[in-house]
Amino acid sequence: MSYLEHNLKSTPSGLRKFLFMNWPLTLLLISVASVGFLMLYSVAGGSFTPWAEPQMKRFALGLAVMMVVAMVPIWFWRNMSVVAYLTSIALLFAVELVGTVGMGAQRWIDLGFMRLQPSELMKVTLVMLLAAYYDWLPAKRTSRPIWVILPVLLILFPTFMVLRQPDLGTAILLLAAGGAMMFFAGVHWAYFGAVIAAGVGLVAAVFNSRGTDWQLLKDYQYRRIDTFLDPSTDPLGAGYHITQSKIALGSGGWSGRGFMQGTQSRLNFLPEKHTDFIFTTLAEEFGFVGGFSLLALYTLIIIFCVATALATRDRFSSLVTLGIAVNFFLFFAVNMSMVMGLAPVVGVPLPMVSYGGSAMLVLLAAFGLVQSAHIHRAR
Amino acid sequence: MTRTPLRPLARVLEARAKGQNPAAIERENIHKRHEEMRDSTRARAEGRLLVLAAFFFCAFAVVGTRMGVMATAEPREPIASASGASIATQRGDIVDRQGRILATNFETHSLYAQPPLMVDPMAAADGLVQIFSDLDKDRLVKDFTGKRKFLWIKKRISPEQKQAVHDLGDPGLLFGPREMRLYPNGQLAAHVLGGAGFGKEGVSAAEVIGVAGVEKKFDTYLRDPANGAKPLQLSLDLTVQAAVERVLFGGMKIMNAKGASAVLMDVHTGEVISAASLPSFDPNDRPRPPTSGFDPSDSPLFNRYVQGVYELGSVYKIFTAAQAVDLGLVNSNTIIDTSGPMRIGRFPIGEFQGKNYGKLSVADIIVKSSNRGTGRLAIQIGGKRQQQFLDGLGMFDPTPFEIVEAAGGKPLLPKKWGELSTVTISYGHGLSTSPMHLAAGYAAIANGGNYVSPTILKKTGAQYGPRVMSNNAAKQARAMLRKVVTSGTASFGEVPGYEVGGKTGTADKPKPRGGYYDKKVIATFASIFPMSDPKYVLVVTLDEPSILAYGEKRRTAGWTAVPVAAELIGRVAPLLGLRPKVEQPDPAAIRLTAN
Repeated sequence: MSYLEHNLKSTPSGLRKFLFMNWPLTLLLISVASVGFLMLYSVAGGSFTPWAEPQMKRFALGLAVMMVVAMVPIWFWRNMSVVAYLTSIALLFAVELVGTVGMGAQRWIDLGFMRLQPSELMKVTLVMLLAAYYDWLPAKRTSRPIWVILPVLLILFPTFMVLRQPDLGTAILLLAAGGAMMFFAGVHWAYFGAVIAAGVGLVAAVFNSRGTDWQLLKDYQYRRIDTFLDPSTDPLGAGYHITQSKIALGSGGWSGRGFMQGTQSRLNFLPEKHTDFIFTTLAEEFGFVGGFSLLALYTLIIIFCVATALATRDRFSSLVTLGIAVNFFLFFAVNMSMVMGLAPVVGVPLPMVSYGGSAMLVLLAAFGLVQSAHIHRAR
Repeated sequence: MTRTPLRPLARVLEARAKGQNPAAIERENIHKRHEEMRDSTRARAEGRLLVLAAFFFCAFAVVGTRMGVMATAEPREPIASASGASIATQRGDIVDRQGRILATNFETHSLYAQPPLMVDPMAAADGLVQIFSDLDKDRLVKDFTGKRKFLWIKKRISPEQKQAVHDLGDPGLLFGPREMRLYPNGQLAAHVLGGAGFGKEGVSAAEVIGVAGVEKKFDTYLRDPANGAKPLQLSLDLTVQAAVERVLFGGMKIMNAKGASAVLMDVHTGEVISAASLPSFDPNDRPRPPTSGFDPSDSPLFNRYVQGVYELGSVYKIFTAAQAVDLGLVNSNTIIDTSGPMRIGRFPIGEFQGKNYGKLSVADIIVKSSNRGTGRLAIQIGGKRQQQFLDGLGMFDPTPFEIVEAAGGKPLLPKKWGELSTVTISYGHGLSTSPMHLAAGYAAIANGGNYVSPTILKKTGAQYGPRVMSNNAAKQARAMLRKVVTSGTASFGEVPGYEVGGKTGTADKPKPRGGYYDKKVIATFASIFPMSDPKYVLVVTLDEPSILAYGEKRRTAGWTAVPVAAELIGRVAPLLGLRPKVEQPDPAAIRLTAN
């Protein structure tokens, strides 16, 4: 084996790992985050405080965390996944007991230097646990009912805990990501078909029963669902954000009003302008071109993740990478749909761009896993 | 999975015989199997990845397309994307026959609060209570400090009030533009116009919808932006309407009636020039409908001329006479024996105050309003033909008058139309109709025998429907009606120069649970003028009138409805452009003044 060959085929060790990181992915993450800094600078009215500067600091910290996670061999993380999952569950319980109530929901644990949102952590640890589970499970057992029920319980338990906070957005994301993991692991089609059919049937039953004698929900519950699905019926309540963000997108037009020229977001029409609805600022100031570019960046990140997943040989690596890709995808897809009025408003931030600590840290740590899988892949 | 037994002796021996290592073969087999398994898992995983890729692609496509659509859309103001987007704001005006405004739109503001934005809810509540005295401070404070994110405070406020609230300076108190319907003439023609209310309400606009009258009947038309600024033109004449309402109100007061109605109709076109129902209301501030336990006909919202379905009494006699002439059974000079007693089955048919008129000509039956005489004519006509005739006059169906309430004015017919019904209906009992029905019937007599359907929309030229009687019959009927005024029950109806003809009717009001009130009547006078060239029909009804005259309580139409109608005609005819026929001056009088 020549030196060159050895270099290419052996798993790097020590600081050489640094060179073997998935650098394009890293650069993409940095550029997306930079878009975020720019927007936060803009919504603050051309100021690094109160949002852009802390966000940059946190991103630097997150990048460091990513590197550290990346340096640790992926099999260590596989072995740790059960512990990580149990820790997240414990933190979710802790949030129930000592959590801070914010925006009408109990989601955070205040650690002093940052607010920890265990439900964010849960997204990653759930993916890890499921990947480890299917890595351990012999492939031929994947579709046996008993081995299907176990991961379903592993998904549903944290989902219900998150739902209790209440945080519908994260709960949906958990459910979707968990389902996607099972799908990639190769669980038989019939299970998914059955679940989808049952879900459709239930929804149809609930809606069809409306106004009949056997009505399944109370009238006010139906009305809530109506408002949830069509916020325009309540323009000042549920529909307010949507209305405003639609205006912002429309006024941005093709190439936008220009940096720092957005009126909708800067004139305080949008209460959540720096978090969940930051995309509206981008769309208003940089127009369709800006918004589509961000979408393209996200897409590239997904593509690099999938490429990593295809390049790795072991099941855990590929599953965890795909799981994180799906999580990331759900993040921005749900956020963008919600901002554009394609989906109901559930509190999902725009990944790497929205102002917020734990979400970004956890995401970067998750990308650390992807990097680790990339570095430590069998060659 | 089926497996080949690990080392069947036969194979081992066979392999050995060939000089191969059986252990190596076994290893190779296992290796191959593993490869196969891995490949199949891989293939499946890749298949699933393809599904994922397709899903991702769809999502990207949808989000990207949506982004493009939204970016290329015209930037719209909040008003357009709020719920007000679908609210068409410009409602068409309503004008009278001369183009004068009856209903138009007016921009006001609504006041709402968003408590989360409030700086000082207590001070805001304080200030609001000072501006709007009807607000309850405790309630406001509760709302402002509670969990509510939005609440309406006032749906409509004046510019002064808006300024005052603005001066409070609280950012949580907000205004929305709000178009409202304005009826600049107040109560005038209230029952025709009906009124408008708010439908869908948004912050930036509210939908104005008609709730009654023509506003509701023509709601779609008025709201249709395709009509542009084209107003809805009614047949009403604002000036005439004002005069009618004024005189009718005075008449109602003098006659101590609790309600009154008047319908003035063009006999050739069916256009209703004026329609009034008293007591009235202001459509700008339409009262709430009465709650249960209260007679709806006492509400000002009750539209007497289409909803007031009563047995209208002797005014119907002319239809019997006209039909009898039309059929050639009699002419106006034919003598009919009206003497009693007359019985249909076990029911005696009597005259007013038990009179007995003896032998009368047909014309005098009308002039003296003889029940028995009309009844005898009706027996000659027969129930079948009587029904056909009344049906032809539109007496069996709600009038086609274009206000929503008209559909509710459904005539009450006898369940079984026997001989008794034929006789009683011939003099206006047993068949209940509205004054609007009656006006349409009289219009047919006035215009020479053609049915006209009453309408509130402006028409041009005669709008004759099917012929219901011959011109000759109509002419003889008109002569009888004229005689009623010149020498009959309606002698107070004479208006010099306008040749009024008409017929009185006084009907006992029915009790809600059957039977009739003794001293409560509906007095009706249906008139045609000017007789020489009939142009208009006027139907006046008074609800429970009574007046003290010559030491007696008078309730009959001749004493109540007729003078009011005469006053109305005297006032309205000049406004309608009718010239009085100047009486031939008395030569002696001229000589006197000359001296």
